[in-house]
Amino acid sequence: MKIPLILRIGALVFATTGFYAYVGQMVPQKEVQPPAEIVLRTDLTTADMVKVGREIMEGKGLCFTCHTIGKSGALRFPDLAGVATRAKTREPGMTDIQYFAQTMYEPNAFIVPGFNPGMPVINKPPIGLTDQEILCVMAYLQTLGGTATVTLQTKHQYNAGTATPTTPSTGVSPGGTQPEATVKGEKR
Amino acid sequence: MNGAMNRKVLILLGPVAGIVMFIAVVWMATVFVGRSEYRDPYRAPAATADATPRAEGVAAEKAAADTKAKATPYAEAEYRTFPIVGSRVAIWAVAQLHLLFAAFVLAVPLFAFIIEAIGYKTGDLRYDRLAHEFTKLLSVSFSLTATFGAFLTFMLIILYPKFTNYLMSVFSPTFLPYVLLFFFEAFFLYTYYYGWGKFHPLLHLFLGLGLNLVGTAIMLIANAWLTFMMSPRGVSDTGAVLSVWDAINNYTWMPINVHRIIANIAFGGSVAAAYAAFKFLQAETDEERAHYDWMGYIGNFVAISAFLPLPFAGYWLAKEIYAFSQTLGLTMMGGAFSWLFIIQAVLIGNLFLAANYYLWLGMGRVDGVQPLQKFIKYLLFAITLCFMVWATPRSIIATVSELRAMGGGAHPVLGYLGVMSAKNTAVNILILTTFMSFLLYRRTGKVATVAWAKAGHAAQLSIFAAAAFIVIFLGIYGYFVEATVRIRLSVPQVSSVLIAMVSITAIDVFLFRGAMRTGEVRWGRIPRVSQYVLIFIAVTFTWLMGLMGYVRSGLRQHWHVYGVVRDHSADAFTPTLGFATKVVSVTVLMFFLLIGFVFWITSLHDRPEYQRREKGVGATAHEAEPV
Repeated sequence: MKIPLILRIGALVFATTGFYAYVGQMVPQKEVQPPAEIVLRTDLTTADMVKVGREIMEGKGLCFTCHTIGKSGALRFPDLAGVATRAKTREPGMTDIQYFAQTMYEPNAFIVPGFNPGMPVINKPPIGLTDQEILCVMAYLQTLGGTATVTLQTKHQYNAGTATPTTPSTGVSPGGTQPEATVKGEKR
Repeated sequence: MNGAMNRKVLILLGPVAGIVMFIAVVWMATVFVGRSEYRDPYRAPAATADATPRAEGVAAEKAAADTKAKATPYAEAEYRTFPIVGSRVAIWAVAQLHLLFAAFVLAVPLFAFIIEAIGYKTGDLRYDRLAHEFTKLLSVSFSLTATFGAFLTFMLIILYPKFTNYLMSVFSPTFLPYVLLFFFEAFFLYTYYYGWGKFHPLLHLFLGLGLNLVGTAIMLIANAWLTFMMSPRGVSDTGAVLSVWDAINNYTWMPINVHRIIANIAFGGSVAAAYAAFKFLQAETDEERAHYDWMGYIGNFVAISAFLPLPFAGYWLAKEIYAFSQTLGLTMMGGAFSWLFIIQAVLIGNLFLAANYYLWLGMGRVDGVQPLQKFIKYLLFAITLCFMVWATPRSIIATVSELRAMGGGAHPVLGYLGVMSAKNTAVNILILTTFMSFLLYRRTGKVATVAWAKAGHAAQLSIFAAAAFIVIFLGIYGYFVEATVRIRLSVPQVSSVLIAMVSITAIDVFLFRGAMRTGEVRWGRIPRVSQYVLIFIAVTFTWLMGLMGYVRSGLRQHWHVYGVVRDHSADAFTPTLGFATKVVSVTVLMFFLLIGFVFWITSLHDRPEYQRREKGVGATAHEAEPV
């Protein structure tokens, strides 16, 4: 029995699109939700801030889209392992907090040698972290090769303060109390 | 008589089968899309619900609801929902169908105009007939494009009223020129089509030129709207308009314009070739087969010629995306969408394989093909190797034990093939190899007779070898240098391939001028499977356009306008690639059902008039006129 031409062509079109849809099912499946809006409690400890900072870097901040921790080789953006140590001496006359603040509020002011400019301004859309969220990120960054000292009251050149490094916090270590970051009714 | 009856039954069956398939596709879309993304909340079945009528209570509730509704002040809706599949999928499918038809309507006049101009210059009427044949596909497609365009506009206004209002306020000066251009487009298209053979050839060519210019202008305006959504410019952080021209001339506007023109030609050529394949397979005489074989070859030639420089336009677009926002660029290539490019590699690999296969089958049209056929196995080997490298992912899905055995997320050996150095090398070699297939096809049945033939061949081979060497050397070198250097290596790789293609073609033109023919080209003498290859290429191109349209649009993730207008709708999340590919597949099926309808209507043009058919071939034109 001869199969009509239209059916043969239809079968070919159907099989081809079906095959590509099948290939689409074979790759990793990940649904990306919009970042949750975080409301920070005003009495977060430094240890809490470290945890929140890590969460922000993994989520809303999109930091790990580009940066890595503990990876070497031909990287497109600086690896963050040991960044706390480097931040203290990266730019003469700047403390680690001032340096971290500059990298986020004014990222093109200093480019790490060997890399291209590419870091977005973090307190503006599309990332748009708040001043408090940026302080949490700084707290986390300080733990990468150092000890976190930042508090929510820390002032720097971009949050209406002068360059005043905070005094080391006492008695709070990473992994302390659970931060009470709450998610504000973010729609799916 | 029996044959006539069968034919009538077949004519009747065609539309019926089309309608049944359309219903099946819509049903499939509902099942595929509805099941995986949207679920209604659980409700108790009617049988288990309280059977008490409570008529009074219901009436009171209704009255209270009416009173409340009357007391509620008017509020502008931000979003509305589309039943079953949701607003995003509904907009997605309609926009994709509109774009596919628009691409076709913009592309076909471009190469129809060029073919007509060749016909005018050479005086060869075959070219004129071919250009007219391509143009026949336009009028129904134009109507469908406009219909889907209106459909899309209404859907945007209904489902995303606030965002649409914002977009209209930013681009308000562009809408009236857009509508005006549409009038011009209709004028040029219909006078170009219906005026075929009715005007002086130069006047007719002028109409074709006008059609192309107006069509391109329409595309440029529409591209400004969509590229603004991806890489906004000319507005403040809060979205206030600072400069309409800056909003139009945003980072990705010009790269998208160029990329779309080239991609439209590739797509239009492939769909026109599929039409020719359809007609070839239907053909009953050798003359028809010869004509449609030639038409299919030209359509495919147009498609592949445009396809070869397309990756370079893609590089430019990607570069501008990175220049606008590294975050956006990295989301595309290294984040949520990185695996999409593995699917793209499969598609492009298939396109290259199919295009080469068609060329190799086409060599059979010419006597004396044997000396060149021995090269095919080497070309096939190179293409397959490049395809495999391109489709190799950097990180792979693996179990914990497999990850331990590999010592990380990437395979110790194959992982090196998943990075850009290897992929850039693979795609450039693929392009070079396909170009070689073209060259081999071109010289089938010909022997160069110029005095410098030997030197010419040697020069061509040297250029080809040098380009291949540069591409491979820079690909390997990329593994040993910093990222800043490595990114720039793609430029000399691409340049060497482009220079090689241009210079080898230039030599070839002079080399084979006045060449001795060792065998005639016998159009129509090609295996039928080649025509199915053309249809496969058209489907793959269409699917590729759907996929890349998704990545361009999906890249914004939870933003309507990236970084300016946030998406707060229920569809703000980025779906899985599996879901996206299902939507693309269903849309492509819908497109082919509709384009099948276009082919069918177009083929009616060649069918004898009803009364002539009834009375037989001997009926005069006068007798055949409808009463």
